[in-house]
Amino acid sequence: MLCERCKIREANIQYTEIVNGVKTEHHFCAQCARELDFGPYAAIFDSDFPLGKLLSGLLGIGESQEDDLASQVVCPTCKTSYGEFVKNSRFGCPDCYGVFDLLINEKIKQLQGNTSHKGKQPKIRKQVAVKAVLPEDGTEVEPTVSWDQDVKEQICILDARLKEALKSEQYEIAARCRDQIRELKARENNGAEVQ
Amino acid sequence: MAMKWYEKADPERPEIVSSRVRLARNWDEYVFPGKLSDRDSEEMIRRLELGLSHISEFDGRQYECFRLKEIDELQRKALWERRVFNSTIAGKKTPTGLILSEDEDTGILLNGSDHIRLQMISTGFHLNELWKRMDQRVDYVNERFSYAFDDKYGYLTAFPTNVGTGMRATVVLHLPTLSMGKKFNGLVNEMSRFGATIKGMYGEGNENYGALYEVANQRTLGLSEKEIIDLVSKVAIQLAAQEEQVRKLALEKHRLEREDEAYKSYGILKYSRKLTAKDAMSLLSQIMLGISTGVLKTEKPYQVYRLMLGVQSANLQKRSDRPLGKSDLDRARADYLRSELPELV
Repeated sequence: MLCERCKIREANIQYTEIVNGVKTEHHFCAQCARELDFGPYAAIFDSDFPLGKLLSGLLGIGESQEDDLASQVVCPTCKTSYGEFVKNSRFGCPDCYGVFDLLINEKIKQLQGNTSHKGKQPKIRKQVAVKAVLPEDGTEVEPTVSWDQDVKEQICILDARLKEALKSEQYEIAARCRDQIRELKARENNGAEVQ
Repeated sequence: MAMKWYEKADPERPEIVSSRVRLARNWDEYVFPGKLSDRDSEEMIRRLELGLSHISEFDGRQYECFRLKEIDELQRKALWERRVFNSTIAGKKTPTGLILSEDEDTGILLNGSDHIRLQMISTGFHLNELWKRMDQRVDYVNERFSYAFDDKYGYLTAFPTNVGTGMRATVVLHLPTLSMGKKFNGLVNEMSRFGATIKGMYGEGNENYGALYEVANQRTLGLSEKEIIDLVSKVAIQLAAQEEQVRKLALEKHRLEREDEAYKSYGILKYSRKLTAKDAMSLLSQIMLGISTGVLKTEKPYQVYRLMLGVQSANLQKRSDRPLGKSDLDRARADYLRSELPELV
């Protein structure tokens, strides 16, 4: 293969770059590689590079650059950056786990010896409860509401879905939403024990 | 007034002083306490208190609701000494709520390191029982507030050291004889390999007075709650059994010396006019050992641990109507023990 830069000499250096998870491969000849700026790795292409420089390039500086990029990842919910998490060993909100997932996986494994939960499951899950009210295919499921403030919230969600269904002329789904809102409101007003 | 948990004697396994189960949970509607503004914290605490206001009806206990800022520093420190919460919480400045049962054995800390931190504690060895009761309570709370939960990582907590089950199971062991042996450090290291941490409770650095050791699970993720309870139980029973064995041996070989040590300790505590915390703890440790081996006999089963909590500085200070300096504290400690020490029969 010819060097992609000069297209004259044979390429004998393969350079792989990963930026924000996007991997690109380059093929250069030794001369072009020397002329390009490879930061800490540039020493490798000097004819008389010291081994120490290579090691510090590979272990120290290179890693800190990678860390620098990672530390700028920010959780959109609580604005905690990955760097902040590393510094304080403390997450800012539940969403941090999802945002930093790829970065923390190894760390959590080192810390806990494991990365998957095995114990108790929540008795009540909000998302499941909301989905159960009106699944995607529109099948009717008995609403599973367990606490007061959530009745209001579910009414809100159902109301939004009702409007959406009306807009897209899905009258059958809209009717079901309406019935369930009525039922929820009735339960709320009666103050009935809901399970 | 109800008897506090630490006043209840549990002579069945005398080497195991107390058991505690703690669960950390977060409400999925709010960011973790570290990122929560004071206003949002106040709002969340109020909503949590409101939702949990009928907890007495659930378990038949009397509860009191506090805000940590409403109680003075001394009272906070005293609660910390009695293990209601840890030192970080005792010094916390941001809004924090506490729902505490009258006997102090059940506590729900609101907006501590996590939104909801449930704790149950008892004297003796009752991890299994505590977990069963805790399991119901944590569901009771869940029926009102949905938890931050992830299928992969389990219950999400502010610190990655608590994620998963959010559970810390702790047992306090009294190991006065075993910890004197040369092999003790090796034994401690060996236990750590099973995933348990062991640390001395009182004293700094290599010093330990009172011979109380805390055993807890290291990991919270990848093990079920039952497995954590079993792991800590196994380590605790193992250490307690070894302690029992060396106690027996010591008593068989050196009965007179053991009796002498127990009675001398009792004598010093009974007649002292000044006692440092270190001396008081070491002597109380001897009394605890003496009572549990039958060398010292009290009329009714007696929980020496209550005295060990009672001689801590904030708890002593609380009994006094004026601020106490160091030398006043040593005097108050001796006075307290003279009046509280059980009569021997």
